[in-house]
Amino acid sequence: MAATDALVTRGDTDPKGRRGPRRRRGDAGYWLYLLPGAVLFALVIGGPLLFTGYLSLTRWSGIGDPTFVGLENYQRLLDDTVFWQSFRNTLAMIVAMVVVPTVVGLVLAAVLFDTIGRRFKPRTANALRAAFYLPQVLPVVVAGIVWGWILRPDGALNGLLDAVGLGALTHDWLGDPDTALPAVMGVMIWVQIGYPVVVFMAALQRVDPELYEAAEIDGAGWARRFRAITLPQIRPETFVVALTCTIAAMKVFGPIYALTRGGPENATNVPSYFAYYTFFKKLQVGYGSAISTVLTLIIVVVALLFIRAQHRAERRDGSA
Amino acid sequence: MQRFRTVVAAVTLAVAAAASLTACGDDADEGASGAKVLKLWHYEGETSAMGVAWDKAIEVFKQEHPGVEVRFERKAFEQIQQNAGMIINSSEGPDVMEYNKGNATAGLLSKQGLLTDLTAEATKRGWDKTLSPSLQTTARYDDKGVMGSGNWYGVPNYGEYVMVYYNKDLFDKNGVKVPTTFDELTAAMDTFVAKGVTPLGTAGAEYPAGQLFYQLALARADRAFVDNYQLYKNPVDFKADPLKYGADTFAEWVKKGYVGKGTASAKAEDMGTAFIAGKTPMIVSGSWWYGRFKAEMKANWDSFLFPGNKLHAGSSGNIWVVPATSKAKDLAYDFIDITMRPEIQALIGNNGGVPVSADPSKITDPKDKKLIENFNAISSTDGLAFYPDWPVPGYYDVLVSGFQGLINQSKSPDQVLDAIAKPYDEGVAEIKRG
Repeated sequence: MAATDALVTRGDTDPKGRRGPRRRRGDAGYWLYLLPGAVLFALVIGGPLLFTGYLSLTRWSGIGDPTFVGLENYQRLLDDTVFWQSFRNTLAMIVAMVVVPTVVGLVLAAVLFDTIGRRFKPRTANALRAAFYLPQVLPVVVAGIVWGWILRPDGALNGLLDAVGLGALTHDWLGDPDTALPAVMGVMIWVQIGYPVVVFMAALQRVDPELYEAAEIDGAGWARRFRAITLPQIRPETFVVALTCTIAAMKVFGPIYALTRGGPENATNVPSYFAYYTFFKKLQVGYGSAISTVLTLIIVVVALLFIRAQHRAERRDGSA
Repeated sequence: MQRFRTVVAAVTLAVAAAASLTACGDDADEGASGAKVLKLWHYEGETSAMGVAWDKAIEVFKQEHPGVEVRFERKAFEQIQQNAGMIINSSEGPDVMEYNKGNATAGLLSKQGLLTDLTAEATKRGWDKTLSPSLQTTARYDDKGVMGSGNWYGVPNYGEYVMVYYNKDLFDKNGVKVPTTFDELTAAMDTFVAKGVTPLGTAGAEYPAGQLFYQLALARADRAFVDNYQLYKNPVDFKADPLKYGADTFAEWVKKGYVGKGTASAKAEDMGTAFIAGKTPMIVSGSWWYGRFKAEMKANWDSFLFPGNKLHAGSSGNIWVVPATSKAKDLAYDFIDITMRPEIQALIGNNGGVPVSADPSKITDPKDKKLIENFNAISSTDGLAFYPDWPVPGYYDVLVSGFQGLINQSKSPDQVLDAIAKPYDEGVAEIKRG
């Protein structure tokens, strides 16, 4: 740190006594620590991102030289019904991977922490938390294959319906365009639910137990405690969960690849699978890059909006 | 600041060193001519018919080329499928490699000048005489990378074709005779349906449904249609026969219960295992199942060619290619030539594969013999019509999606034909644009 110290010292002895140069020079020390990350980012993310942006302006089969075509790929995207359908399906994925898991996760975490954790041994709450988290530990492709077995026409779900006398409800769940997307959404809810539960339970650990005790003494029921204590206390974690899950939902690929490959009839197609298919199967690298670029831009915009909303909420809480 | 500069210098040096190491490679022992090393890659399983035959070919090659080291590497199919372009564009590629046949693969590489023109060798070594015209289709590519004409860029030495597999025990139990005509086939299926058995196994989520549609279309097709559809010689009208007949008949078969309505999400493996388990009387699928049924199926089974068809889905197997960067081209040609010899061809046949030029009298197992005789019958009458998903890249998923719609009856045959016509036309236009 000798170099940094020297800079700071020089800043302190600035004859005009300005603070600006001192702060700038002081900050330079931090850049040194950011360097390895910045180099890696440039090599692994920045470079490929820029190159993808360039490729989106070309027509290329992956071999030979790309042909520059300007915005042709983006114009084509606007008229591509599959592209628009894939984004409509993304909204369904956001419901399945963000909205439902966050809401259900909040309730489950509150019940586990506030009721089960206090009335039973902590071990019970921990075991249940682990059970909810289990799907997150499974590789998503393995989970996809197993769910594929469950949902196929002669699979476990139809077998179960038959066994309980509901044979009339048996169905080719993933083969029918009307049921494929809801079936995939169901699987994604199962996969996602453990993540918010674990994050929210960790968040609740830092809430002062006296708050709950005081509320209980004052006669507040579970619903009231949930609304007045749990929700406001874990708002930062709610933002984090919502942001990370939204990004995950927008770029979801593995489960779609394992379960349906975007079918039947594009009923479960999503932008990342559509980009992969265009890129690697149709060998239209330029067009695939345009899809990826649009997806990346949308994810960045959504992430920025989330972060801004979070800052605003924090400022509001701070001033309240 | 001094430390900062030192770190930057160290990082720069490390990156430069890594880059130079990557660029060097380990080819120092290979000369530009008079090569003493043959680098050979393929992706066949060790115990598969081709794996066994090519192991023997390597052995023969070593005997005939003392002093030449064979560096064989078994690759994964996907590894070569997705990276071939980059690999053979570098100095790290092999001298001879098994590669996927077709416009989107071998055609693409040949167009980019990444494969060696084998035309002179094909004439000199007689490969052009050994391989029938329909087998040569996947070996030759024009300057746009379209198969069927132009120079030789690959050499196939095994084949595959689609047939009807049937469970003899289920046929006997239900009093059904083996059909020899299309009408007898539908009559046989009617008998099964009347007894509450779905006669034909298929799989909507993968290739079997598309191949069944193509077999039905081929019932009304001739070579000119195949040339138009596969080689773009003339525009294809999807709303006319044979494709219209194929889609209409497929839909009719679903309605009549010949094909299970609940198979839209089934995979090829589901179809195969149901047949092995004796749950399905018939399936229409390829010769690649043959060895597995022989090994795993307890019930009596046999096969027949799709009744009434002169054209059948099928083609050469994958091809041997010689990358343009190869430093041992003569050795590569010698190796390919060895794989075409009768003893190696017989080895493919005796291990459950379909050799391209085997003498059936050299095949010992009667089942294997029938497989090869049927292939020779199709191949010698120019009856290989390739596969429905070949014409344009990515068409496989288009067909899967289309025929799922027919199986679950969410789409009419006309709607499906529209859905598969558009990507076909776009893909052909893209290929023609070059």
